[in-house]
Amino acid sequence: MSLADTARSMGKAFRSYGRTLGIAAALTFGTQALAAAPAAPVDAPVVAASESAAPAAAAAEAAPATATVADKGSYTPMAPTPGKGQPVDKGWTFQDQYSPVGEQGLWMHDVILMPIIVAISIFVLILLVVVAARFNKRANPVASKTSHNTLIEVVWTLVPVLILVVIAVPSIRLLAQQYEPAPKGAVTVKVTGYQWYWGYTYPDNGGFEVISNMLTEEEALKKGEPGHLAVDNRMVVPVGEPIRIQTIGSDVIHAFAVPSLWFKLDAVPGRINEKVLFIKEPGVYYGQCSELCGARHGYMPIAVEALPRDKFEAWVKTQPGGTVGPAAPAVVTPAAAPAAAAPEAAASEAPAA
Amino acid sequence: MATIPANEGFDAHDHAHDHDHDHKPSFFARWFMSTNHKDIGTLYLIFAIFAGIIGGAVSGIMRAELAEPGIQYLGWWTNFVGGNATDFNQTLHMWNVLITAHGLIMVFFMVMPAIIGGFGNWFVPIMIGAPDMAFPRMNNVSFWLTFVGFCSLMMSAFMPGGTGIGAGTGWTVYAPLSTSGSVGPAVDFAIFSLHLSGAGSILGAINFITTIFNMRAPGMTLHKMPLFVWSVLVTAFLLLLALPVLAAAITMLLTDRNFGTTFFDPAGGGDPVLYQHLFWFFGHPEVYIMILPGFGIISQIISTFSKKPVFGYLGMAYAMVAIGVVGFIVWAHHMYTTGLDVNTKMYFTAATMVIAVPTGIKIFSWIATMWGGSIEFKSPMVWAIGFIFLFTVGGVTGVVLANGGVDDNLHDTYYVVAHFHYVLSLGAVTSLFAGFYYWFPKMSGRMHSEFLSHLQFWIFFVGVNLIFFPMHFLGVQGMPRRYPDYAMAYSYWNKIASIGYVIMAVSIVIFFINILYAFLAGKKAEANYWGEGATTLEWTLSSPPPFHQFETLPVIDDAAHAH
Amino acid sequence: MATQVVPDPRRNRRVGLYAAAGALTMLGLGYASVPLYRLFCQVTGYGGTTQRADATAAAGVKVAGKMIRVRFDANVAPGLPWAFKPQQVSQDLRIGERKIATFEARNNSDHPITGSAIFNVSPEQAGKYFNKIQCFCFTEQKLMPGQDVRMPVIYYVDPAILDDPGANNIEEITLSYTFNETPESVASRQRGGR
Repeated sequence: MSLADTARSMGKAFRSYGRTLGIAAALTFGTQALAAAPAAPVDAPVVAASESAAPAAAAAEAAPATATVADKGSYTPMAPTPGKGQPVDKGWTFQDQYSPVGEQGLWMHDVILMPIIVAISIFVLILLVVVAARFNKRANPVASKTSHNTLIEVVWTLVPVLILVVIAVPSIRLLAQQYEPAPKGAVTVKVTGYQWYWGYTYPDNGGFEVISNMLTEEEALKKGEPGHLAVDNRMVVPVGEPIRIQTIGSDVIHAFAVPSLWFKLDAVPGRINEKVLFIKEPGVYYGQCSELCGARHGYMPIAVEALPRDKFEAWVKTQPGGTVGPAAPAVVTPAAAPAAAAPEAAASEAPAA
Repeated sequence: MATIPANEGFDAHDHAHDHDHDHKPSFFARWFMSTNHKDIGTLYLIFAIFAGIIGGAVSGIMRAELAEPGIQYLGWWTNFVGGNATDFNQTLHMWNVLITAHGLIMVFFMVMPAIIGGFGNWFVPIMIGAPDMAFPRMNNVSFWLTFVGFCSLMMSAFMPGGTGIGAGTGWTVYAPLSTSGSVGPAVDFAIFSLHLSGAGSILGAINFITTIFNMRAPGMTLHKMPLFVWSVLVTAFLLLLALPVLAAAITMLLTDRNFGTTFFDPAGGGDPVLYQHLFWFFGHPEVYIMILPGFGIISQIISTFSKKPVFGYLGMAYAMVAIGVVGFIVWAHHMYTTGLDVNTKMYFTAATMVIAVPTGIKIFSWIATMWGGSIEFKSPMVWAIGFIFLFTVGGVTGVVLANGGVDDNLHDTYYVVAHFHYVLSLGAVTSLFAGFYYWFPKMSGRMHSEFLSHLQFWIFFVGVNLIFFPMHFLGVQGMPRRYPDYAMAYSYWNKIASIGYVIMAVSIVIFFINILYAFLAGKKAEANYWGEGATTLEWTLSSPPPFHQFETLPVIDDAAHAH
Repeated sequence: MATQVVPDPRRNRRVGLYAAAGALTMLGLGYASVPLYRLFCQVTGYGGTTQRADATAAAGVKVAGKMIRVRFDANVAPGLPWAFKPQQVSQDLRIGERKIATFEARNNSDHPITGSAIFNVSPEQAGKYFNKIQCFCFTEQKLMPGQDVRMPVIYYVDPAILDDPGANNIEEITLSYTFNETPESVASRQRGGR
């Protein structure tokens, strides 16, 4: 079938397009997208994507020094900003976006898709109204018998194709951007979906797992947090640097989703999924489980707290076995394997070479 | 399309002369052992209305629960089905049972039986000038399989299903929630109900394909068939090729649940994502199965009331074929967040958007059919015009969702709920009402009230838009679907949606009053009560048509066709 | 004018049987999809499925200069009373270089349990290039009550990854395992009156 072939070849073309141009385009176009996207709220401190690399590297340099000092760290949960990282009352647009992917996605929706689909809907509506007004029985008693017009049929086949190409190009670019892998040394958080709560493991920071349960409506309101979204222990991550999020399900499929970060990834049992998260501003960002996982599917919200690097490290140290520093490869972390005997570990290294 | 010269009209009088054609069997034999396509069609329609009442009532419970944040009514229903509402998990499980039941009932026991079983059975043989379906007894088997399937689903609601009573897996029945996640017979019965209704639909598909290929009257070539017949033909092929895949997938679920296999169980090396691939390989054609016959109905209606032949007939027919074919290669756009690699996601994004092209051809061809026409705004036409607009709105949000990168935010939110209700609840169901008012007098012999039909349309139009348009807002704000309770910020639009439900319900009451009116006080319907625009073969028969029609086959006159 | 009805049941039966054959073929394909999907994943690395290489093939692999980091992740299915951890968070190696990593598993219950591990890598486009020469996941593992074992994985990353524009920017690959109790083990435990 010719259409199927067309679809396939289109797919192929877009794929190669995405490969070759996608990343470059994302870089060059990304800045334009930033300008075009709605500006982030002015009251919050903005860490721009381009500036973030330097502070992150500096923090990494400083990390070993602070790690050697036996401090217990400190952490006070950040108070969420109303309207930031959470739905707003009577809201009818996307939540404000706090990640580069989110800005690009929002731009894709607001600048490309929304005008096109509104225009098409209104165009069809106008045509219907015109037809109803001009060609009703009273206005036009004798019906024409026209049932063919090759030109117009070609036009209404080709114009939609062109519109779809206009949509497809930035869409493919957005996809390519979303799939850029996390760089070496990025903070890794392994998100495990359980029936019905979340676990956040930090393998590079001692391998502790933060168990996160929903707060009741009363508890949440008492803490000044939105009901049904607040949790007892948040997923704390550093701001302004790429974070490697890995999801896995413990029992059934869950989905880790944060609308204001344009992030959603299924947690499938027995299979690890990975995606990069980059948060531009400190703050608390709420999300909810987004794959039906049983009775309390609606009762396992997600709260991500993004902190500057030093505060993030202070938080890590408050966790049991939490360590900060460049993750040394091939080091047995004490919490991970208490029974591991040193000679065996050394022996097992030997045949590798 | 197929026009019959006036002097070749067939009506009941021609038939009833000397032989006893209209002899009907006794009540039991007629309605329980029926082999008559019109009687089976009637059974399907009554069944679909009955199932629709239940499915609609379930959505009423859901909208009532969602009208305010918090849990209000679920506890009562938990106790109703035999559970224990003091266990909060059981109460919440009840929600999942409701969404599952609503989805399965509306898809498999309302829309499909009504649009394919009901209108398809009634009018496909008549429109092609055939006396009946190719396999009349198999036709009967199809109906009763669907009926028993429905009983199986109803029974599952009162059985243990894991956390609570009933099957709470969603209509998608994803593993492992549906396997290790839901112990108890409820899910087995729900799966079995899909087997039964699926088997019924496959038999029905074989029947339609054979009927359309073999039983056409002389002169009724494929390219002269009315578009409704084309739409049922394409749908039958989709059923034939898609449903067996679902049957295989859910059979494997059953054996995973009961016989220790591990097709989709990671414990034995199975992959739950494969189940999703199989489900959506069926599931995406399934949505076209529900809407394509609707396209056919709308084409007939638009042409009738514009008093013009359908514009671009061949383009319309092959657009449906194209939608059917492409519908088989886009399934993974339902799985954008399961962890597909970038190339797969790019392919499915592009392929999915391709579907917008044939769909656009249909929309514009309908408008072009009206263009230059002499339109009478009888009730079916008003419903059909409403369909075109609502389906357009549902279609364009589909283009938004087709973008894998945008779906990362919208997947499994209310935006998706809004989208598929615009194409199904407001699309397929609107086309059902349009078809119902178009053909009801033909089927019953009684005219409905045009006033009530128009009234129902406007109230329905306002109601469903109030229910589903705010769901777009909830979706972009991030409200996930399948939630019985939500954050305070979502309460405003949810309240409005629930008010919309009440308005929609009023329109359904008017629908029943209208049927009642037709049977009690409706005028007798003539053979062709819509006048000159109605040119297909059913209008050459009396209303209702004789028990057996076309004992001598009509000959379709070539000269009458412009194409 | 009008012709007499000539019902042709034979023709109907033929078309009906063709259609039924079509349906049965799709049913068969539905079942066949399970092995086919597995095969597809193994061949293409789809879904982050790793490759299996024998030692002789691995010996011929040229070591590239570029470094890559491999991370290790371990999970236990719910209901399996084992502790299961990687003994190293990650390893740095040259692309093409063979390396051994060890995992530790301990049976915390008072009865023998047989488990098998399923696995994948992320990002998933690395699956095609991640080769395991030896792995505890190739076979089932039986642990006696309280038994503690160290299990090796010998692997390398195929230098072909550097030629794949979709994968050559990957700097860290995560190898993830999930241990499940085998269905036979569950069955025998239940027979044993537990």
